[in-house]
Amino acid sequence: MKIVYYVNQFFGGIGAEEHAGAPLEFRDGALGPAKLFEQLMGNDATVTMTIVCGDNHAVEHQDQVTAAVLDKVRASGADLVAAGPCFDAGRYGMAAGAICSAIQRELGIPAITAMHVENPGVDLFREELHIVDSGISIAKMRDIVATMAKLGKKLVARQPVGLPAEEGYISRGLLRDQLGDKTAATRMIDMLIAKMDGEKFDSEMLPNAFAPVPMPARIKDMSKAKLMVITDGGLVPKGNPDKIEGTAATRWGAYNIAGSDDLRSEDYEVSHGGYDTRFVQDDPDRLVPLDALRELEKSGVIGKLHEEFLSTCGRSNPLSNTRRLGREMVEKIKRDGVDAVILTST
Amino acid sequence: MQLTLAVHPITDIQFGTRLSLDGSALTVDGEELHRLVLEDAAIDNVAFDIVRPGESCRAGPIFDVVEPRAKADGGSDFPGIIGAPTTAGMGTTHVLAGAAVSVLAEMSPDPSRSATGRVLEMSGSATAGSAYSKLCHLLVVPQTKPGLPRSTVLKAYRVASVKVAVHLARAALAQAPASTQTFEPIGAEDKSREGLSRVVYIGQIFSRQRKPAVDEPIIYGTNTDGMLPVILHPDEWLDGALVPSLNSWFGGTETYFYQNHPVVLDLYRRHQAREINFVGTVATVAGNDNVDRVRQCHAAANLAKWNLRADGAVMTKYGGGLPHADLSETARLLEHMGIKTAVMVSDVARDRRVESALLFNVPEVNAIVYNGGNGTEYEIPKAARVIAAKPELAALLAGPMTIDANNIIGVTNQQGASRMRSLVY
Repeated sequence: MKIVYYVNQFFGGIGAEEHAGAPLEFRDGALGPAKLFEQLMGNDATVTMTIVCGDNHAVEHQDQVTAAVLDKVRASGADLVAAGPCFDAGRYGMAAGAICSAIQRELGIPAITAMHVENPGVDLFREELHIVDSGISIAKMRDIVATMAKLGKKLVARQPVGLPAEEGYISRGLLRDQLGDKTAATRMIDMLIAKMDGEKFDSEMLPNAFAPVPMPARIKDMSKAKLMVITDGGLVPKGNPDKIEGTAATRWGAYNIAGSDDLRSEDYEVSHGGYDTRFVQDDPDRLVPLDALRELEKSGVIGKLHEEFLSTCGRSNPLSNTRRLGREMVEKIKRDGVDAVILTST
Repeated sequence: MQLTLAVHPITDIQFGTRLSLDGSALTVDGEELHRLVLEDAAIDNVAFDIVRPGESCRAGPIFDVVEPRAKADGGSDFPGIIGAPTTAGMGTTHVLAGAAVSVLAEMSPDPSRSATGRVLEMSGSATAGSAYSKLCHLLVVPQTKPGLPRSTVLKAYRVASVKVAVHLARAALAQAPASTQTFEPIGAEDKSREGLSRVVYIGQIFSRQRKPAVDEPIIYGTNTDGMLPVILHPDEWLDGALVPSLNSWFGGTETYFYQNHPVVLDLYRRHQAREINFVGTVATVAGNDNVDRVRQCHAAANLAKWNLRADGAVMTKYGGGLPHADLSETARLLEHMGIKTAVMVSDVARDRRVESALLFNVPEVNAIVYNGGNGTEYEIPKAARVIAAKPELAALLAGPMTIDANNIIGVTNQQGASRMRSLVY
C-alpha cells in the first residue's frame, strides 16, 4: 500500500512559526509523524512521499499548493493520503483539510487527518473527511496516529466505517439509517425511564445551535421604504409556470403584481402539500397580503410595494437547499433595491 | 375496565366455500366477502387475494392494514364505525394473530411524494424492516364507482377494511383461543405501586394540516373537528376506538398498530414488571395554527399533570412536519410542570444532514427517539405476482425498481413499530 503524507513546517522539521512561510516541498519517504504512521499501518504499507509546506504559505497560496499537490499525488499511485495530526493549529488544519478534501474529491483516493474539534479546519471539512479527534496534546501522538492508521486501513479497503465514538473521528454531522433490534417505542420508554431515574441517556438527536442572525439597522422612514413580500406558502400563478415543487422545492419564482390591488383566486394556485390551503385558495391575499399593503401604500405608511412578490414552498425542505434559495432571493432583493421584506409562512 | 384478548395464531389463509377456522388455518368464503363489501353503494366490484410471507409478491398502494379482531358476546366492533359508539376496551376480543386484512387504493398517490404509494413486499431484503411482511394478508381490491369524491372513495375503503377484518375474526368466536392476554389494571389507586414512577402516553391521532371529511372516522367514528385532548384507557387504543385518518396512507400510521400499539404494549409490559406505574393515555390532535396549537398543547399537558398526575410522559406524533411543533411544545410544557418526557419524531432530513433533522430547538426536549428512513432505498426485484387496484400501477409495481424505505409499508411507522433509526456519524 502506497501512502502520501502531508505535514507542516514544524512536523516536517523545518522549524516553528518563524518558518511558516516555507514553500511547498515534496520529499521522498516518511518524515516526522509519517514514520510513526507507516509503522502503525503494518508491513505492506510504505510512505513513498512526504509533502511539507509552511502553514502561512499553504493558506495564502491555497489554490497553487492544492494544484501542485494534486499533480504529484495523481502521479504517485497512492492508495491513501494522510495529514496531520494538526491539533489546534488553525492554519495547519485548514491546509490539511483543503488538501485531503481535494485529493478525495478529484482523485478518488481516500484521505485521513486528525485535528482538535475546535480547529477551524473541522468546521470547513468535517462533512467530507474523516477527521480523527486529536485533542490538543502532542503527548498523545502515538494514540492519535494509531487511530488514524486503523481508520485509514478501513478507508483503503472500502470497509464500512463505524460511528464517531467507535472509530475516533469527529462527527461529520451526517445521518445514516440503521435497522436495529429494538422498536422506536421500546427505545423511547427506555430513554424516559433512564431520564426519570436520573441516569445517563443518549438522545438519538440533539438540537442544533444556529448562529444568531444579526438584526439589521432599523428603517428610519417607512413612508419612503420599498417593501417586498416573500412567502414559503407556495402561492403561484395558475399553472405553476416555474414548476415549484409542493415538497422540498428547489425553485422559487417572482410574480408580478404591478397595477393590481387584490390577488384573485382564479389567477393563483397553491403548490404546497403541508397545510390546509383552503383559505389561501379562496383568497390569496391571506398569504400575500396585497390588499392590505396597497392600503398602506395609498395612505403613505409605506413608500412603495415592490412590483413582484417571491414565492417558494417550504414544506420538508432541508436547510442545505433553503440556504441556497435564500441566497438567490437576497441577490434579487439587493439588485431590486428593496429596503424591507415581509416573510409570510404557513 | 379490562380487556381480554383471545389469541388464535394464524399460519395460513385459503379460499373455500365457508368461513372457518381449523387450528391455525383460516378458510374464507370469497362470495360471502364479495356480498359484504358490496353492501356499500360506493363500491361497484371487489376482488380478493391472499399473500403469504416469503412469496415473490408485491401489492399496493396499501390504504390500510387491519388485524382481524371480533368482539365476543355482542360487544361493539370498531365502535362508531360499524358498531355502536360505546366504549372500546372492555370484554373479550378474539384476535387472528398473524393475519391481516389489507385494502388497496385505486388511485395513484401524490406524485410529489411517491409514485408507488406504500407497497406491501412479501419477500427479499425490503421485508427486513416491516412487520407486515411476516403476516398472511387477505387483500381487498375494491373498484369504486367512477366520479365519486375522493373522501367518499376513501371512506368506502375504511368501512370495507374494518368490516372484512371483523368478519374474518368471527370465525374464531366459538373456538377456544390458543392463549389469552389481559393487562394489569391501570388507573386504580394501588398502594403496592407507591414509589413507582407514574407514566403516561400522549399520542397525536390527527393533524389539522388537513381538514377531515365530515364523515371521516378517526376516534369512535368522529372526525376530531373541535376535539380537545381526551384521556383514553390504554385498552381503548387496542380495541378499535381509533383508526387513522382517511388521508394518512403516507404517514406511517395504520390500524394494525393501534390494535397492536407498540407504545401501549411496551408500557403495559413494564407496568406488569412493576418497573413503572402506567397510569393512562391522552389522545390529542396537532393544531392548524398557533392559537389552536397552544390550546391543544396546554390541554394535553394539563390532563397528564392534573388528571393523571404523571411523573413521566412518552409522546408520539402524527403526520408530517408541522406536528413536530405540537409535540415539542407539549413536551416543553410538561417539563416545566416537572414531568419528564421522551418523544419520538419522524425523519425530515432529506439531505441526510443533522442540521435538517429536527423541526424544533427546545432545550427542555432533550430525550428524542429518531425514526429513520430517508437514507434507505431498496433494490427490489421483479415480482412473480403483483396485485394492484389499477393496471397502470400493476405495471409500475412489477419491478425491478428502486424504492424508498418510506414506500415499504411498516418500515417508517410512526406508532413506535419502526426499527429503522437514523444515526449521527
